[in-house]
Formats: sequence, C-alpha cells, structure tokens
Amino acid sequence: MKTDLRLGDMLQARGVSRRAFLKYSSYLASLLALPPSAAPVMAAALANAKRQSVIWLSFQECTGCTESLTRSHSPNLEDLIFDFISLDYHHTLQAAAGDAAEHAREAAMAANKGKYIVVVDGSVPVKDGGIYSAIAGISNLDMLQETVKDAMAVVAVGTCAAYGGLPGANPNPTGAVAISTLVTDKPVINIPGCPPIPEAMAATLAHVITFGKLPELDNLGRPKAFFGVSIHDRCYRRPFYDKGEFAESFDDEGAKQGWCLYKLGCKGPVTNNACATLKWNSGTSFPIQSGHPCLGCSEPKFWDMGGFYKALSEPMVDIPKMVGAAALAGGVAGVATGLLNRSKKAKAVKSHQKVTVDDLTKGDAS
Amino acid sequence: MTGCEAALAGGPEQSFTASLLGEIAHLLGQLAASGTGGAIDLRSLPLQAADREALERALGRGEVEARLTTAGGSEVFETTYPGVWWVRHRGADGRISSETIEVTLIPEILKTHADDLAGARGRLAEAIENRLFEFQAGEVE
Repeated sequence: MKTDLRLGDMLQARGVSRRAFLKYSSYLASLLALPPSAAPVMAAALANAKRQSVIWLSFQECTGCTESLTRSHSPNLEDLIFDFISLDYHHTLQAAAGDAAEHAREAAMAANKGKYIVVVDGSVPVKDGGIYSAIAGISNLDMLQETVKDAMAVVAVGTCAAYGGLPGANPNPTGAVAISTLVTDKPVINIPGCPPIPEAMAATLAHVITFGKLPELDNLGRPKAFFGVSIHDRCYRRPFYDKGEFAESFDDEGAKQGWCLYKLGCKGPVTNNACATLKWNSGTSFPIQSGHPCLGCSEPKFWDMGGFYKALSEPMVDIPKMVGAAALAGGVAGVATGLLNRSKKAKAVKSHQKVTVDDLTKGDAS
Repeated sequence: MTGCEAALAGGPEQSFTASLLGEIAHLLGQLAASGTGGAIDLRSLPLQAADREALERALGRGEVEARLTTAGGSEVFETTYPGVWWVRHRGADGRISSETIEVTLIPEILKTHADDLAGARGRLAEAIENRLFEFQAGEVE
C-alpha cells in the first residue's frame, strides 16, 4: 500500500526502464485515440505519478468483469497497469478474509483520503432496505456509501454497475440500480459491457493516473475513446449491410458468405463499443466475426431489448439506395436508421418481450 | 522502379498508401526545414494487412535496424528514406500493441532516458565499489 514513491523510481528499482514506460504510453495513446506525440508526455507524467490506490467493490455480479481484466492477456505490456495501481481491496483477489479484509479497506480509505479510486462491479439492490446482498454483514448499499464518501472518483465497470444489468432486468426483484443512481456527488465513469473490454478498463484507469482527470465521456458516462462509435460503424460486415446483403438464418447461404447479421437480431447499430476494433481473446475475434449477432451488452437495458434474435427493425427502405443518398447528404440516412432503431429499442424495453424458442429461429421482426 | 514509385503508380487500391506517403513526405519536409517532424499512428487508421504491407514495401528497409526486449519485443527500423522510421511494438504474446511511422532524426524509444542514465551510473559505481568486476588472474581468457 506504499504510495509515496514515484512510479518511475519504484519501477526502476525493479528493473523497469523508461523505455517500458514509453512503450506502454504509445500503446495507451493509440488506445485512447490520442496523437502519437502524446506518448512521451504521458510517459513522463506516469513516471512522476504516485501509485494509485484502488478499492474494488463487488456487489451483485458474476466476477466476469474481474476475469476480463485479469486474465485476458499474457503478462508484460498490458499488465503494467497492475504496477501503476495499488489494489488495496478486492475480496475476490485478496488473501485476507473477514475482519482483516474490511480493515484493509478502511485503512486504504484513511491513508488515501480524497485520492483513492473506487471501482465497482455489480449493481446495488435497494429494495427492502438493501437486504438482498451483503458482505461481512454490511449491505452493498451501506458499503458503497461509506467507501465512496472520500473517493476521488468512481469507476463502474460492467453493465450491472453501469446500468443495473442482469439483476436490474425485468422484473428486477431486488430493486437493483446502477452506481450512478446512488453516487451523485462524485465523478462516475461507466465502462459497460458483459464483460467490459479489458483495454477499456485498464486504459481508463491509466488515463486518470496519468492526467489526474477523467477522460472525455459521452452522455451515458462512457469514455468516448472506446464508446464513441457504434459497433455497426466499425464492423467489417458493414459493406454487406450497405449492399443489402443479409443472413436470414444461421445456416443459410448468406451466413456462410459472412453477410450482415442485422436480420438475425444484431444490435450493433445501437451499441457503442470497441469490440469490432479491439476484439477479444488477444485480438482474435468478436461475436460478429464468430457468426453471432451483437447482443448489445454495453447498452442500458440490453436484457430487455426485445429478444437477442429479434431484428431491431426490418430495413424498410432500399439500403443500397439509402446509403448512396447518405453519401450525398452527409450520412443523414445513417442517422435516420439509428434513430429508427433506437426508437424500436425503447419500445421493446417498455413492453419487455421475453425470448422464446421461436426467437432462436427468427420470428416476426416487428 | 522503387517501391514508392510502384505504390504511387498503382490503381485505386494503392490510394491509402499514396495518401500516407504524401503525409510522410510533408512531415519529412517539415523535419528538414524546422527540425520538427511528427508521427502517424497506423493503428488509428482502418488499414488492412495488405495496405500495411504495401506501405512497408513502398518505404523499404534502410541501413539501421534495432530490436527492443522490454515488455515484449519491438522492432524499430529506418526506412530507405533517412529520417523516416517504422516503430512496431508488440506485447508478450507477439501481438502488435502499437505501430507508428515516426519522422525524426532518432526515435525517442531508442534514446537513453536521463533517469535510466542516472540509475545506470549508480549501479555501475556500486558494482565497482563492491568489486563485482574483480577478476583473478587466469579467470578470464
């Protein structure tokens, strides 16, 4: 928990050279869509920074977010983030248990008052006084409020923490809510996804450590560098959408040809995330590349979006013609399709359609 | 015909390479005139493997190549156009983590940082003081 040393000095003593800092910063700058000239500045800032105290709270969650961050890469470059933070409390990873674990959290809060970051995965149940989830006899609600009181910022990782996720899906028996619903007097960064992309989590933390401030966020509190563009817009199957070539079932000729999965329920057009560019499993693939529609897991209420295999809407216009017009009209058609889809999504959320066996073979898209 | 001429003479499929070469030429002119070059992040561009290969063919490999072994491997080489460097960093799994074209006299990653220099000076002095380099006669052939 020693956080008074500069990262540069601390890591130099362990044989980590400034070249490693610069290399990591080049990687970060690229991830965060910053110009390459930012890398040396970031490397210098990182070397001068103190090790960042992080308290990680896990509430109504499945541990997939922690798995994503800790197991996705082989050691070295990407794992440098773990040298930059002091993970002072994480009840899945820490050796301590019981009172000792809770004392570690309290000690970290006292030693780094006003400077620590709280990372939360999982939603918080608030129904019936928050009795549905507790750790060490402390309800999630009480633990969150007590821990964020003196925090610098809060990072809600995973869709459960960012928007309520699965625990918050209809009928939401525990009254699960997002962290931003409960924390209103501190900066909250949402990094949604089920699970979130590890690079998004690591780079966001590194951004805060390096620059001492939050990255630019969108209207849902997500870092724009990772959530600024829809999966659809970065999808390698997008040209098939533009040409109106769609797979109609999972084993038809269109599916074999790798055509667009829009009619099979792909939520890529209404889902902002970096899956299509960063991919998963060390850059191997992402759901659409594996032949499965995007589920929209980084969007609010994705469980209640009307069925994973229901198309957002059947294209009602001739897509190639519309795309041609969009090229002339500066992408207006794309915006219109996006609005149409978002409206459809909102309607589906409101009327919560359950997924049935029929959905798996693609039923009526309306 | 040089790799660069071949790229510029190519069809529409070479247009990405041609655009990048134009930007590199602009940065090179800037470096020559003011001493300040610049860099292009190749990962930020929607390049296909074929585009990247075409660019690498167009620029070619010059007379300097370096390999780094910190936090995974890295390759740095000057292209056939002095002042234009290709910097490719990889993670431990071999996957490319960042890739830039740097137009500079020498890439920053190759320079020794002042803090590393101070550390090296201290370590070497300590080693000498502790006689870590003392060899007995006959030990070294």
